[in-house]
Amino acid sequence: MPDPQPRIEQTSMIGIGEYRVGSFPMMTIGLGSCIGLTMYDPNLKLGAMVHIMLPESAGRKERPGKYADTAVPLLMNELAAMGCKNRSITAKMIGGASMFEYFGTNLNIGERNAEKVRNLLKEHHIHLAAEDVGGKVGRSVTFLPGNDGKVSIRRADGTSTDL
Amino acid sequence: MELSPIQADAIQELGNIGAAHAATTLSQMLGSTIEMSVPAIKVVDLAQLGTYMGEESAAMVAFELQGDIPHGGYVLFYITRESAVRMTNTMLGLTDLARPLNEMDESALIEVGNIMVSAFLDATAELLGFIMLPSPPALTIDMAHAAMQSLIAQMQEETNEVLLFSTELTCEEHRIDSDIIMMPERSTLEKIIALLEDMMKTS
Repeated sequence: MPDPQPRIEQTSMIGIGEYRVGSFPMMTIGLGSCIGLTMYDPNLKLGAMVHIMLPESAGRKERPGKYADTAVPLLMNELAAMGCKNRSITAKMIGGASMFEYFGTNLNIGERNAEKVRNLLKEHHIHLAAEDVGGKVGRSVTFLPGNDGKVSIRRADGTSTDL
Repeated sequence: MELSPIQADAIQELGNIGAAHAATTLSQMLGSTIEMSVPAIKVVDLAQLGTYMGEESAAMVAFELQGDIPHGGYVLFYITRESAVRMTNTMLGLTDLARPLNEMDESALIEVGNIMVSAFLDATAELLGFIMLPSPPALTIDMAHAAMQSLIAQMQEETNEVLLFSTELTCEEHRIDSDIIMMPERSTLEKIIALLEDMMKTS
């Protein structure tokens, strides 16, 4: 079951490992090596968002939103249950940064997360419409399924971009 | 992950000793008095990390815990961006608060973090009788949540909650607000607790 929905039009905050499905505004703050993944169906104006922390679940069943390999099928199933067709869903991916250069050299989780999500989307025939990943920068993301699935990204220096 | 009141007290005392040594070094570097909070122990669920650290811009100097326990977790020196400017201004004799942080600030922050965290670990390790060494430092100046989240993601032991153990160090004269935060792996925490319990038995 997805985490509880907020009242209509109230922005829902998605913490690490959490996900939501619906038409209400969703937001996740401070993505470092984590990935914010959105999926949107323009026909039904429905979307889903998840905050992924690691590439592999290694068989763990709890918190499927936390791992790329369980989160991608999870969002697809949730959207399918609401009547969305795979071929009409488009995905966007944000995050996957390497915040600490020294630690990043041999253990680039951000890059591995992004690579894993990219491969999974390809495998499941989900179109990756856009991505803003990598670098050494934190990102916060707002996702508006009710507003054409608009995705906005905010950075620590105050700059914002739409994806 | 639950700590008994006695265990929490013991860890708090350990943090007190470590933070007091770190505060002394900061006081010497700034030539000013440093106030120190009572160390706080928080068990934070990953999904709730955002309520503890948000989008605010902060400088964080992170060190991996090494020594007798390799990959023992992380210790970090955390300072808000505004405080970081005031601190390096004090050290470098500058006054402009609106300036961007440059390479010199970054070097100063890494050095301060290095000295403080080394003092913190020296004092706690001496008390515990086992060696905890900091790795080389890694600095980031960005969203606090993004930095913290990245450290948690690279912890060795998979977990849904982290134990954060933080002490606030403030300098009223220069309006500097900083924290030393320790985030041990679960096995490191268990080892520290076992050592503290042994000490209490023998004393």
